[in-house]
Amino acid sequence: MTSEAPVAIETTTPLLSVKDLVVHFKKRSHRFLKSYENTVHAVCGTSFDIHPGETLGLVGESGCGKTTTGRAVLQLIRPTSGSVTFAGQELTGLNREELRGTRQTMQVVFQDPFGSLDPRMPVGEAIAEPLRIHGQWTKSEGHQRVGEMMNLVGLEPRFANRFPNEFSGGQRQRVGIARALILSPRLLVLDEPVSALDVSIQAGVVNLLEDLQARLGVAYLFIAHDLSVIRHVSDRVAVMYLGRIVEIADQGSIYRRPSHPYTQALLSAVPIPDPHKERSRRRIVLKGDLPSPVDPPSGCRFRTRCWKAQAICESETPELLELEDGHRVACHFPEVIEVV
Amino acid sequence: MVEPLLDIKDLDVRFSTSEGETRAIRGINLSLNPREVLGIVGESGSGKSVTALAVMGLLAKNANVTGSIHMGDRELLGMKDRQLSSIRGLKIGMIFQDPLTSLNPVYSVGWQVEEAISAHQDLSKEKRRAEAIRLLELVGIPRADDRVDDYPHEFSGGMRQRVVIAIAMANNPQIILADEPTTALDVTVQAQVLEALQVAIDQSHASLVLITHDLGVVAGLASRVVVMYAGRIVEIGTADAIFYSPAMPYTHGLLGSIPRVDDDGGARLRQIPGSPPSMIGTQPGCPFAPRCPLRKDICLTEEPALRSVSSTTGTEAHQAACHFASDVVTMPLASMFPDTSDDHEEPPQ
Repeated sequence: MTSEAPVAIETTTPLLSVKDLVVHFKKRSHRFLKSYENTVHAVCGTSFDIHPGETLGLVGESGCGKTTTGRAVLQLIRPTSGSVTFAGQELTGLNREELRGTRQTMQVVFQDPFGSLDPRMPVGEAIAEPLRIHGQWTKSEGHQRVGEMMNLVGLEPRFANRFPNEFSGGQRQRVGIARALILSPRLLVLDEPVSALDVSIQAGVVNLLEDLQARLGVAYLFIAHDLSVIRHVSDRVAVMYLGRIVEIADQGSIYRRPSHPYTQALLSAVPIPDPHKERSRRRIVLKGDLPSPVDPPSGCRFRTRCWKAQAICESETPELLELEDGHRVACHFPEVIEVV
Repeated sequence: MVEPLLDIKDLDVRFSTSEGETRAIRGINLSLNPREVLGIVGESGSGKSVTALAVMGLLAKNANVTGSIHMGDRELLGMKDRQLSSIRGLKIGMIFQDPLTSLNPVYSVGWQVEEAISAHQDLSKEKRRAEAIRLLELVGIPRADDRVDDYPHEFSGGMRQRVVIAIAMANNPQIILADEPTTALDVTVQAQVLEALQVAIDQSHASLVLITHDLGVVAGLASRVVVMYAGRIVEIGTADAIFYSPAMPYTHGLLGSIPRVDDDGGARLRQIPGSPPSMIGTQPGCPFAPRCPLRKDICLTEEPALRSVSSTTGTEAHQAACHFASDVVTMPLASMFPDTSDDHEEPPQ
């Protein structure tokens, strides 16, 4: 993570490699006693890599497909096409049994710390559950492992037999992190892990995730809508719009030198808690609404709201091409504009 | 001194619940000046929304409200619903967080804007409709004359919130109360809605009370800022005073705990240890003391009053509820809070 001493990121083999990932959902709708089947184009050909120990931030607004991408990586949603390779193994064709082994090394933390814990299960049991499922629970060491994990995430081990309702939102999220880490995964998919928390609580969980990464070397796919949090935690950032990655680059590069019009609009819209700066900055306010993923625009999907749109944007889908070192943009007219 | 539009004195709100009496607001004094934007910030449960609901007379039946809320020479507290109807919508417009629940799904948006107009103005049918279209155009609804007959479900979240803004400004109110108006929205939509809100206050010359947990939104719009904690105002001042020289440790902590999009992410976030106090029953001392790094003995026994911060100059009062406000105001931002995650916390119960 960015705040720690620079960790040498291996450029050799990625831990996770996603290629041309497509997820379509069938949606049935009824009108005048007739039934129609529509296809929701949730994710349309996204590709990215995550290297061991790094954090890739996946950011975008509601409906852009970031959560679906995360779930497709975990095979919780089976991709329509494309490939997901984790530690050299292709996951897309595997059945449940075959996936079980992989799932030890690939875990998930969900957004809602209230909905993701069983209210009738003591938190110590919840943290131990992955051990039991994967046959690693032993009477002699089990409780000790749970205690270690609780210590690691900043919870007192003596509260292991308490129930989730006795904990605050931030503490429950720590329980969620502890149970995700107990199997020593190499990749953690974090789906909006701090967005349900108040700001003063959020900081503690963000710091904890940074510390854990420095200590354990686990890689994060950090999914969030909050561009400030994403900047803080990520080594690299991918911006999604309507099912596609429109720009991907190192954290510094994407925030200082955004080159896709959507990234620029997105960054310029994030309020900065600094009155002088906030009142004097340039804001790009987008026109119109997000088009429906049932019937996405042809060519560049952002063209219906883009101030630079030309005929080519309608006829040709821009490819995600390298603009400068490691900074890739899907736009026919990329141009750096500083907005933050 | 300008006559304040709204004058809240010693407002106290208690709810009787099965677990005991919850003190949601504990003695608030606040006045709203004409044509100002007052930001109220605080975390969940700090009492920001309850303050707004108390002003509108919209609190639940189990609320026990004392104190006074004056608008001009009228006392709003204790007013009957029928009397309040002459204030709600006419003098004070209200915008809630969730535009889907504040609009009626079975009527067109135009009908709902017209309803707000006809409640307080006597206009012909044609004029009413024309006025509704004008308002919808003002808040940035494209092709408003086509869309006026559409229903709420045919609009996106941001568009619905604009309809709510149009309704709030329909009768040129003196005050618009906006309770987390953009919290449910995506960031680019938030920018659009904030723009519409700015149009609404410019057009109606209303004062805006902007209640939010987002310090960035407040930094962009508010001229004065109120920070609430545990049902009290713990700091109040100009936006500059609050953001650049906060005098209450809690404000310091809040500012240090938020990641900033213009910050390259190198610095660690500051953490406020612990969690907000329970509002059931009363504890002696400063409510922030258990989480405060500057805590001294006096903080545990005596609750500090909201007092002027001596070292600040300028015409507008900068007040903070801290025994050591004059020291805190000189401290570098957030440096007093830890940036480690090794704080083994006890469950709150």
